[in-house]
Amino acid sequence: MFKKSEHHMAHAQAGSETIIAQGVKVEGDFKSNGDIAIDGELNGSLATVASLHIGESAVIHAEVSAKNAVIAGVIVGNIHVEDGLQLHASSNVTGDIVTSRLSIAEGAVVNGRISMNGKE
Amino acid sequence: MYCYLYDDFIQGNKRFEKELALIENRLTDLGIAGKISRLALFRNAEEMIRDEIDKGVTTVVVLGNDDTIRKVLNVVVESGVVFGMIPIGPKNKLAQLLGIPEGVAACDVLSARRVETIDIGSVNGRKFISEVSVPEFRAEITFEEKFRVFPTSTAELEVRNLSGESNPCDGMLQAVIRADVKRGLLRRSTKEESILPLQSMTIRAEKPIQVFADGELMEGTRFDISVESMGMKIITGKERTFET
Repeated sequence: MFKKSEHHMAHAQAGSETIIAQGVKVEGDFKSNGDIAIDGELNGSLATVASLHIGESAVIHAEVSAKNAVIAGVIVGNIHVEDGLQLHASSNVTGDIVTSRLSIAEGAVVNGRISMNGKE
Repeated sequence: MYCYLYDDFIQGNKRFEKELALIENRLTDLGIAGKISRLALFRNAEEMIRDEIDKGVTTVVVLGNDDTIRKVLNVVVESGVVFGMIPIGPKNKLAQLLGIPEGVAACDVLSARRVETIDIGSVNGRKFISEVSVPEFRAEITFEEKFRVFPTSTAELEVRNLSGESNPCDGMLQAVIRADVKRGLLRRSTKEESILPLQSMTIRAEKPIQVFADGELMEGTRFDISVESMGMKIITGKERTFET
């Protein structure tokens, strides 16, 4: 299970990490060069050239792009992940997914097309 | 050339007389004695410092506390002189962060002259070294005019530059939002911490809010906050709380 303390610890070791916790909402084009962890809400677009962690309590309405991503919350929008994408059991994705490597846990919900290495 | 600026609360105060004598003797022994300027009611600290800089002062040292530093910070940053401090009395959080011991022991730190260049924050044109805090944060933040962030419940905000947990030499500030989140059947409230690195942000509120820049109260509905990378040369001690 994706625990908040795990990704907080991981981010504490990184350079310019961004953490959006529960109780905070973001609207607009959110871009970062560092790791991002989200447990709150986000509407708009979300992009990072590093790793993205979407926690269980997160609700994202956005086009999402990242180098790597671990998703345990709700995403409504297309997801583009350059390297590896992990969908945890609690994840719920409504949108198309493009990635190179994919791991889906039992219980995860995906409503959309999945393309790997640009092939459907 | 050194200029020592004495805050008015330490002058003529018997509590500090002995300590001041020790400091003055130690500065002379170390060969770093300089011009002494004394702050007083109706004397503008910034004008006094400007006059001294015009006369060739290259290092300004304040004798006092966090309030004394605030009085001269803008002019010190704008002029580019080296800044030092000898903490005296209570309210010396900044000195602790910079590793400067209280009283006469600070003279040796000044003499060692370990000069660091650190970032400086600015809120509505007012400079700050440590942080801006908003204890009751009911407003929205626009980050670099790209996205908006707002708490969905009661929250407090800190924008950190030098705080022991942020690096004051990375060209970035760090916004920390602590929002109350109710959990479980008993709806117990816990504080959840969001952290966002930034170079500029704007706080907008519908009603006037209270903001504290290095402890100094400001009130208003809009606050523009930014960082001036490597904006200040400052003498630090070995016990400073940050790494570069």
